[in-house]
Order: sequence, then C-alpha cells, then structure tokens
Amino acid sequence: MASLKTFIIARALALIPTILILITLVFFIMRVLPGDPVVAIVGMKAPPERVIELKKELGLMDEAGNPIPLPIQYLNYLSKLVSGDLGRSLIWGKRPVLLEIMEHLPATIELAIAGFIVSIILGLVLGSLGGWMGGKMSSTVKTYGAITYALFIPWIGMLFQLFFAVWLGVLPVAGRIDTGLEPPTITGLYLIDSMIMGRWDSFLSALKHITLPALTLGLVISGVFTRVTRTSVEEVMRKDFVVAARARGIPEHKILLHVLKNSFVPILTMMGLQLALLMTGAVLTETTFSWPGMGTFLLERIQYRDYTTVQGTVVFFAIIVSLINLIVDICYAYIDPRIRY
Amino acid sequence: MYTFRPLLVKLVPKVRLKGLTLAGTIMVLFTVFLAILAPILTPYDPTKSVDLSLQPPSWKHPFGTNKVGQDMWSRTVYGARTILAVVFLSTIVSILIGVPLGLVSGYVGGISDRILAMIMDAIYAFPGLILAIAIAAAMGPGIINTAVSIAIVYVPTYFRMVRGQTLSIKEQLYVEAARAIGAKPLTILTRYIFPNVISVIAVVFTLSVADVVLTEAALSFFGLSVPAPTPDWGFDLKAGHPYLLSGYWWLITFPGLMIMILAVGFTFIGEGVAEYLGAREVKI
Amino acid sequence: MDEPLLKIKNLKTYYFTESGVVRAVDNVTLDIRKGELLGLVGESGSGKSTLGFSIIRLIPPPGKIINGSIFLNGIDLMKLSEKELRKIRGRRIGMIFQDPLTCLDPLRRIEDQMVETVMVHMDVERDEAREMAAKALEKVGISGDRLKDYPHQLSGGMRQRAMIAMATMLRPELLIADEPTTALDVIVQSKIMDLLTDLKESMKMSILLITHDLALVIERADRVAVMYAGELCEVGTSEQISQDPLHPYTKLLLESIPDVEAPKTKLKSILGNPPDMRNPPSGCRFWPRCPYAKDLCKKTPPRFMELGGRIVRCHLYDREGEKS
Repeated sequence: MASLKTFIIARALALIPTILILITLVFFIMRVLPGDPVVAIVGMKAPPERVIELKKELGLMDEAGNPIPLPIQYLNYLSKLVSGDLGRSLIWGKRPVLLEIMEHLPATIELAIAGFIVSIILGLVLGSLGGWMGGKMSSTVKTYGAITYALFIPWIGMLFQLFFAVWLGVLPVAGRIDTGLEPPTITGLYLIDSMIMGRWDSFLSALKHITLPALTLGLVISGVFTRVTRTSVEEVMRKDFVVAARARGIPEHKILLHVLKNSFVPILTMMGLQLALLMTGAVLTETTFSWPGMGTFLLERIQYRDYTTVQGTVVFFAIIVSLINLIVDICYAYIDPRIRY
Repeated sequence: MYTFRPLLVKLVPKVRLKGLTLAGTIMVLFTVFLAILAPILTPYDPTKSVDLSLQPPSWKHPFGTNKVGQDMWSRTVYGARTILAVVFLSTIVSILIGVPLGLVSGYVGGISDRILAMIMDAIYAFPGLILAIAIAAAMGPGIINTAVSIAIVYVPTYFRMVRGQTLSIKEQLYVEAARAIGAKPLTILTRYIFPNVISVIAVVFTLSVADVVLTEAALSFFGLSVPAPTPDWGFDLKAGHPYLLSGYWWLITFPGLMIMILAVGFTFIGEGVAEYLGAREVKI
Repeated sequence: MDEPLLKIKNLKTYYFTESGVVRAVDNVTLDIRKGELLGLVGESGSGKSTLGFSIIRLIPPPGKIINGSIFLNGIDLMKLSEKELRKIRGRRIGMIFQDPLTCLDPLRRIEDQMVETVMVHMDVERDEAREMAAKALEKVGISGDRLKDYPHQLSGGMRQRAMIAMATMLRPELLIADEPTTALDVIVQSKIMDLLTDLKESMKMSILLITHDLALVIERADRVAVMYAGELCEVGTSEQISQDPLHPYTKLLLESIPDVEAPKTKLKSILGNPPDMRNPPSGCRFWPRCPYAKDLCKKTPPRFMELGGRIVRCHLYDREGEKS
C-alpha cells in the first residue's frame, strides 16, 4: 500500500530531530551540569600535566592546549557520532565505547527478550480474561496489575533469590552461566548459541540462570501489560460493533477474536512505550542478579567515573530507543489502516 | 450507542474500588506517619553503629542490625523521611518547571511551542531511570541533586498534560470573549486557564508519584542518591544484598517492604482516581 | 386478520443498577404485523430502544428481562437457548443501529464482515457468500466493488446502507431499526427511509422503526406506537395518530412538531422533564406533565382501551369507550 510507505518515510524523517534532541540533551548533562568532571576523576591534587592530558581526552582542550569553546565542543561531538564514534573509555586503555557496548549488549538482549516473553504471557492471558469476563475477575486482575507495577525489581529479585536459591537451593543466585560452560559465540545469546551447537550442558546451565531474572523482570513488567490489555479488551467489548455483531448472530468465540484484534492496537503501542520500562527493568534486574549486561556495565562505569563511556552508553540507549519506537509505530500503522497518512 | 441506557444512570463502581483506594491511602499515610514521628518511634540513631553487626531480629532490635551495626528498625523508619523528602521536592520542582512551561507554550503556540513540545516528547520517550541515572551521576550525591535529577525526568509529563489542557481551553468561547474585551495574556492564563489546569496537575501527580518513589529507590540502590550514613531504603537494599547468600534475610526484607508499601499505596490511590474519572483513559 | 408476525406480551425489562432499579420497559404488550412498518416513538429514556434490544435479548448487564413472552410466528423467543437465539439473530430478525461507523469493525473490510454473517447462518462456500454480499450491496445502491473497502472509507449514508445490506442480506422477517437516521442529514435521511420502504415491499419484511421523530414516523409508518416512561400510551395507524390523537402525550408531541408552512410562532415543547426511571411517578406516569391530569391519574395506572381499532391507555377514555 502506497500509504504505508509514505507513513514509514514520514516517521523515519521525524526520527532525526528526536535523536538530535536526545543527543544534545546528553551533551548538556555531561558538560553543563554542575561538577567538574576532571576534578571528580583525578581529584584536587592532580599534577597539572595530568589535568591537561585529561582535558584533551575529554575534548575540552585541543592539541595545542587551548580550551575549546562549548559550541565547538558540541560540533566535534556531533561529527564524531555521525561517524559512529561513541567515544573512548577513560579507564580501560582507550577502548572504543561502541566496542564495549557490543560486548555487553547480547546479555541484556537475551534477558530483555526472556522477560518480555514472560510478561506478555502473563499480561495477555490475565488481561484478556479480566476484560472478557468482567466482574470479580476484572477486579482481581486490576489489583494484580496495580501491585506488580509498583514492585521494586531489586527487592522482588532478592526475595526470589532468598527463596529459590538460598532456602530451596534449586536455582542459582546470580550470573549468567556456570563458568566454563559458555557456548561458542554466534549470536551472543547463550540459549540460542548452545542450542545451535548442541551443547546441552550449556543450555541447561544458561536456562537455570536466566529463570529467576526473567521471572522477576517479566512479573514486574506484566503489570502494565495486564492493565492495558484488560482496559483495552473491556473498552472494545463495550463498542457498538460488538453488539451489532451479536445482533447478526455471530457466535461469541468469533466475536472474541475480533475484539482481540481491535484491542491489539493500544496493546501494541503500550508494548512500544514499555520499551522504556523494559530497559529500566533490565538495568535493575541485571544489577540484582549480577547479570553481565548493559545495566551492570553502565553502573560499573559510573562507579569508576568513566564519563566518556557513560555518555556514549546513554547516547546509544537514546538511539536504540528511538529506532525501536519507530518500528513499533510502523507495525501499528500496518495493523490499523486508519493510522496511515 | 447505548442510547437506551437511561441518562440518569451513571455506572461508577465506587463501591468496589473504594477498598483499594482506602488501602492505598492507609499505606501512604502510614509511611508519612513513620516519617513524622521517627524520633519518637526509634530508640537508636540510625546513622550510628549501636551494637554488634548482623544480628537477627530480636526484642532489642526488631529488625536486626546490619553490617555496620546500625539498628535496622531505626534506619527503616528514618528512611521514610529521606524518600518522602526527595519525592516531595522533586515533584515540586517538576511542577514549578513543567506547569508554567506547559501553560505558556500552549497558550503562545507557534513554532516555539512546537519545538518545545518536540523536545519534551523526546525526553518523555526516553527511559526515565536511565536519564535520571545520567543526571544524578553527573551532579553527584545529595538530596537536592537527587530531587533535581528526578524532577527533570518528570517535567515532560507535567508539561504535556498542562499544555494539552491549555490548548483545549484556549479554544473555548469564554477565552475568546476575554480576549475580545482586551484582557492581557497573563490575566487570561491565571484567571481562566490555570484553574482548569489544577485538576489535571493533581491527576498527573497521583498517577506518576508511584513512579517517582521507585525512581528514587532505584537511584539510591545505585548509590546515586543521598550520601552514606543517611538512612535510605534503596541503599540499604544494596548494602544488605551481599549477605543474602549467607542467609541474613532481615537486611533487605524490611527496607524493600517499605518501598513496596509506599509505591503500591500510591498506585492504589492512582487507580482510584483513574476509576473515578470514569471510562476516559488518562494517558500518562 | 392474519396472525401478527411478532407478539410481545407483558414484557418487563429492568436495569438493576447500584443507584436503583430502572424500569425501562414496564409491562408492554405490542404486536407487529406482517409486512408493516411500525413506528415506535418516544423521548430519550422512554424505553423504546430497550424494547428493541429485548426482542433479540441483547440486553447487557445490569439489565435483565424479568418477565414476558415474545412470539415470533408462534415460537417464544424468551424460551430459546442462546444457541437457538443466535440462529434467529441476523437470519430471521435483523437489526440496524444509529451510528454505522461504530457498528462496523473498523479493522476489517466490509466484505469480510458480510461474508462472515452469511457463513455463520448458511452452509455455503466462501465465493458464493461473496456473491451474495455483492448482490446485497447492489440492492441498497452501493456498487459491488466497494466490498473491499474499510468502513471509514465510506460516507455516512453509504455506511448506513451497508449496515442495512448486512442486516437484510438473509431476508429476515423483521428488521429492528434503532434510530437509523438520527445521525444523518435530512436529505440522506429521506433516501435511507426510501430504501427501507423499498426493501420492506420487495422482501415482504416488517420493520420496527424506533425513533424520537414523530414526524418521520407519521410520514413513513403504517402504524404508530407511542411510548412514555417505559409504558405504551397509544397505538394506531399513522392517519389516526396524526389526525385524531387521543392520548394527551401524543397530542403534545404532535403540537411540538414545527410546521414549515404555518405562520411563525414560538416552538412548542412539552413542559417538564422525563421522569427518573428508578422512581417513576405513581399511577399514570405522565400525570406530572399532563394538562388533563386528575386525582385519579395520580393514584391508578390507566388500563388499555380499544377504540375503533386502536389502543389507548388513558383515564380520559376509560369509561367503556366514552370520552370524558
């Protein structure tokens, strides 16, 4: 459909200013907010040569030792980004930030997908039941949704750890896999890689390790899904075309299918918006379970005051989030023909 | 199209959710109570080491002691102050920045409004916690800094809702009439638009405050909130975590429980508010 | 006279809400004859739509049909199981609604929705169903190649036609039309009414036209039933009702119809408001607004009286056919 293509192009173009705004925002946060990063990194008593060297590394000073004015700093920053340079680490021997991100990203992706699947299953099932059946079921689901949304992930994770790992001893407390069982890297996702290579010992270990984190993440995120699914289904159920369909003698199970399809659009938007929640949740889950992903990586670098890496990572997040939102919008338009321009 | 549903019959299931809202209010008030009466309720100074470390709950220390020998009961009770202070402060800042911006931008309109709205939308779509982490990391520890970091994340939320309200009220006839008789923009804003916006602000607050609580807890969990000896639930959770393996369960249970009580309490209240507003979906 | 197509007897449909019991339809007895267009007129809240929905038992909770029988050619619809009822809906009784935009699934093409209706009721191949759908559309004046469209791509009038096509495609014996023209402008309204009348003739179908527009009904209907506050007031032919209205409510309704040709005077409306259906007035429910109200009216509900082929429920006529 031509109109779908136009929509895609229009939205893709709109992406550019959004990303630009976020990138600028990160720049401001890192440069303009109070606190002298140099002092924070090397302390007050650092030798002046070290300070100068650091300033050059941070892009605050040019090769000749002259301070670079803020607008020029900004432009340098932008031009580096365009060429894919997210900066270099201040502490780990000038390793490119992008490289380090790529090393840690698969773990987060694996966790995010697992958590997402858990939350969808919980959310869609409970939400549809609540919306379809109404009455007491609806209230129960509502309460479930309210509680899970407000759960503090680290706490829930810790409770799971206490119960399943410490007291029952059936699942591991933390980590991604037992040392030595890492499968060869193909996708970076242990579960997939171990399946491809037939390494069932790896697979089992990875599965055990991902269970608690995925449950924790999935449980907390499912709250939102449940609520959205339930409200969405409820709202659609009240719509006139449901009555009209009944008046034509269409059986209930067919009507349910149509209701679900109509409910799906807000659910899908929510899924996209929930990306933000998923990322936040992943960060919290990772730190609780010592899961070696982006979250742990980010926190670690903050601890070490590796500002360039932190900045690069946040920028990376910004770009990824914007891209995924775009994809969600496109799917949205595909399903609901009214959205296309 | 249920035109036959008599106009007089409004189905607001107040009865069913009153329970939830009531429970929520109790939970929140309980926390406030703890915060206000902290000195009376606690026998020990939460920042000082008062006994042997890692003692399980007992009559002397109902919540046990932590690694540093601090009384967990005192720390938990005083922690209410910290979190409520940050939440309160950051909400005020968010409102003080977001509301006027939303009002003025919505009223003035034009290119600047569009640009500002686009900026706000971009920030809004970005994962709040990560943004707060970035800002808090750059600003350093402290109650004010933490409050500001969180406040910045929620400014777009207030901005959007207030701007939306302003845009719709702006088109109303009585505003046109006011303009026709020569009222100054400031007058129009304060006398006509703002009063209508207040209810929206209240709604946004109710629905987002649970989030703010969780964000503060997360920041303090990462050590990015208030500095060390100040009692803070998230921080205690992080501090107690390593001892979990050895079975020291009381270090994390109570602070975490309090976070949940406060957050869930606010959420329940929010649910009640959303329900009261009827089937109209309030999108935050 | 022929047996009526539909016999509604002592129908009571109440809504059990948290603030009280709403007696939306309170003991209504009404016949719909074969091949006639019966107009059911009343204000909002009179219960007319509820009556329409009650016929095919589509009353949502907290509503409930608590009493009555509805005979469709001898079968009591109240006694049928949900499964059996589904066979009647869409096949022997069709229904169209006020807002065609919201009554069609926005995510599916017209064709799919029509084909689904056919295939639910008849054992035919998909292609044959599509043929039937195309023919049905053409019959209402829409070109067959609009089948592939989505509802939002059609104009308001066309959507209503499509809905009519969908509801009448399987040649039902009765079509319930709930305010079908209220959301349309006058010209389109007239065309839709023409269409309905044509279909009535060609398919020998009865139509129950539910509306608040008495003028429309007088113009198009064979018989008219006037409803107020959940009860019937008067039933008669459209000539009888328009020329010699008996019930005070009917008279006031007629007077309030603006007359294009008459000299310009103030628009007349009926004083007062419709009653709170949780607590309707005692006796005859219309007495608070009736210019002829007497003490008797406040105490005792009037009985149905037959007068020259019509039915009227008013104490004015309750003396063995004498006008008081």
